[in-house]
Amino acid sequence: MSAITAMLVTTLLAQGGYYTPEEAQALFTQANEAYAREDYAAAREGYEKLIAHGQGGPDVLYNLGTTYLAQGELGRAVLSLERAWKQGGRAPDLEANLALARARQVDKVEGATLEEDFLTRLVKATPGTAVGWVFLGAWVAGFGLLLLFRLLTPGRRTWAAVLAGLALTVALPSGALLGAHVWVAQTVHEAVVLSPTLVAREFPKGEARALFEVHAGLKVRLLEETGRYVRIRLPNGLEGWTEREGVAEI
Amino acid sequence: MRRTGSGQRALLAVFALLATSPAWADVEFYQSVDRAEVGLDDTFRLTVVVADAPPSAQVQLPSPSDFEVLSSSRSSQRSIQLSGGGPAVIQDITKHVLILRPLKLGKLTIPPAVLSTAGRSYRTESIRMTVRPGRLGPDPGQATRPPLPDPFRNFPGRPSLEEELGEDDPVIPRGDSDLFLRASLDRNEVYLGEQATLSLYIYSRVDLSSVDAVTMPKLEGFWSEDVESPTQLSGEQRILNGIPYRAYLLRRRAIFPVKAGTLAITPAEADITTGFLFAGHRVHRVSNALKLKVKPLPPGAPPGMASANVGSWQLSVDATPTRVELGQPITVKVTLEGTGNVKNVTPPKLTAPSALKVYDPTTADRLTPNKHRIQGRRMQEYLVMPQRTGTFTLPALEFPYFDPRSREYDVARTDPITITVEAGAGGVAAAGPTGTPLQDSANEQKNVLTAGGLRPLRYQARFVAPSTPLWQRAFFLPALLAPVGLLFGAMVVGQVRGRLFAQTEAGRKRQQAKAARKRLAAAEKRVGEGSTSAFYAEVEKAVMGFLEARLQIPVVGLTREALGEKMAAAGVAPERRSKVLFVLEACDMGRFGGGAELSERNRILDQAEAVMEGWEK
Repeated sequence: MSAITAMLVTTLLAQGGYYTPEEAQALFTQANEAYAREDYAAAREGYEKLIAHGQGGPDVLYNLGTTYLAQGELGRAVLSLERAWKQGGRAPDLEANLALARARQVDKVEGATLEEDFLTRLVKATPGTAVGWVFLGAWVAGFGLLLLFRLLTPGRRTWAAVLAGLALTVALPSGALLGAHVWVAQTVHEAVVLSPTLVAREFPKGEARALFEVHAGLKVRLLEETGRYVRIRLPNGLEGWTEREGVAEI
Repeated sequence: MRRTGSGQRALLAVFALLATSPAWADVEFYQSVDRAEVGLDDTFRLTVVVADAPPSAQVQLPSPSDFEVLSSSRSSQRSIQLSGGGPAVIQDITKHVLILRPLKLGKLTIPPAVLSTAGRSYRTESIRMTVRPGRLGPDPGQATRPPLPDPFRNFPGRPSLEEELGEDDPVIPRGDSDLFLRASLDRNEVYLGEQATLSLYIYSRVDLSSVDAVTMPKLEGFWSEDVESPTQLSGEQRILNGIPYRAYLLRRRAIFPVKAGTLAITPAEADITTGFLFAGHRVHRVSNALKLKVKPLPPGAPPGMASANVGSWQLSVDATPTRVELGQPITVKVTLEGTGNVKNVTPPKLTAPSALKVYDPTTADRLTPNKHRIQGRRMQEYLVMPQRTGTFTLPALEFPYFDPRSREYDVARTDPITITVEAGAGGVAAAGPTGTPLQDSANEQKNVLTAGGLRPLRYQARFVAPSTPLWQRAFFLPALLAPVGLLFGAMVVGQVRGRLFAQTEAGRKRQQAKAARKRLAAAEKRVGEGSTSAFYAEVEKAVMGFLEARLQIPVVGLTREALGEKMAAAGVAPERRSKVLFVLEACDMGRFGGGAELSERNRILDQAEAVMEGWEK
């Protein structure tokens, strides 16, 4: 009996989140209204509640980032907008607010800007989920057709062979692209500086020589982590060790 | 010296003094009542008058058993009367006033009063009274005493006597006359939504210590507001029916009827402690019930007027600022001020052009009761956000109401307000090349749209949980490997099955048949190629191989007749036998020069396939 109850509870929890869709929409609307009357703290609280309870998404992240931006919290604004971008919320309004946030940043990265490698640029230009589904669909269809080819009698199975070939032809490049996505996801970690001022040092120690300072809103890449320090790399190749709490991964 | 002469003058002076000394009148002693016929609930005044009694005289007032003595008082006066050179007449008058109330119906007698002086007593006449049920006349205080002008009548903030006590004086209850609770209304008849004031007093002739647990009446059908709720007992002198009382206000409440008809107000109750310290005594008192007649509003109300809009009202609108930059809010306050049920009236809703977004208002009330009348203001504060630049007008507002004083309907109105919305800082002004404002043909202000700035929020959202990459989901790896595994498994199973079949006769037979089909498929590929003999040889090999597999005998080298007999012996149908023989004949002919046409080759190929297909059936 208890097992059945546990299963029911599990099923219910799996079916419904913390908020019903109506509750989530109501909270979202309340937060928007708070933003309209410039009660940014209340607006932020509403959006963060939604995100914390699994009712986020690019739209909520965009509004949260815009609220932070209106409030002047550049670091968290860039972080939320970048996360919205990463989750597929690419739209002109997101690009505009992100550009506005970057324009307000204190840091101006000068010098030869390191070009991102081809795979990274390719991955950023293609939606990972869509690539994954295309590959998986083509892969399963190709092998399914090959299996069907074996089952059909000779002379009546040519079409199966042709379709299998086509499907596997699609699966091959999409699989490669998916592999690139996996590789980038595993190796490239981007983050945003949250602290108003963050010192990058030569070594992961507090007494190490300070190399440079970065400020809230700057997007950096995380290279490695040790203790409470992470090594960051700026878009122009500048690297240094800084405290982990000062940055948040996108 | 003539002593005789001076003695005569002295005697004359004594006589003269005697002649001019005041004259003392005879003793007068009587009693009277202010009326001879009273109701059982009435009180009346019994006055016992003693005139020119010696100082040592003692008055014994009547103590009637059929009457209750509510109070008694004594007053004295001396009058001196001078008349035309005669002696002054001095009269001392003492009045004893008793307030009585009959205890039973019928003809009752007030016994005589007795005046005792040295060695003599006087008796008044007894008085016959007729007592009837109920109340017959005014109270003695009102009937006999002319109303005194109230010196504070016009003093601001001081309630009038009618407002304090209501239209009628409190009726002293039959029991508990020393301490009773009294509820009263300032009026008996009001319009729907008009204020009446309910007051709850303690009337006491004893010292009060405290009042606990006051239960106010149930005010069903009323909207009520506290007007006065003293935290300390503060009494004032009141004379009820000639009896001095201390009146203590417990509560005063403004009530607004919300329905027409005769509405009942239940009695109030209170626990009162009298006396002090160890002599304290706690009593429970219940007040009188009340009724209030509520008249409906007269016909002719403006359309859409709420029944709560009763009183005297002024409406005002204030917008701050009236000139703003785009994106800056405007605060608009709609204020309804006046006398009436402030908390139950609704100011008219602010409307605005679509270019001005109006948010829901916040409401603030401020009550300033005056002379126990509820008055004050109700203010609704709107936040208005301009959506574009331009000049816009907030339309005039109207608030219809019924004024119970004038008994007429009236409308409070405001003036329209003009709002100017300008481009924000950094925006591009709609200016012409010369820098002067551009006037278009319609003479309208241009809508200035500035680039840059924060983009607005998204008002529609798709709520999704943080997504896990597809390759990290549980189903991805199985879905990736399953098709490969299935294909590989199918191949392995096929291989195994082939080997198993090859080890049995039936398997071998099937292998041979399969090989024959393969050979025929190879021949099919050569159907369009140049070598005719090779094609027919391949078809013949395929058919012969198939026959060997099916008949399970070697057939190569057999004549066509022998082959036909073998097939007949194996139970092959005559039609199929003839087809087999026809294909073999055609192959022989083709190998040696015939059937070179493509159509002929295809026909033979179809015949060979037809022979093989359906053999098992």
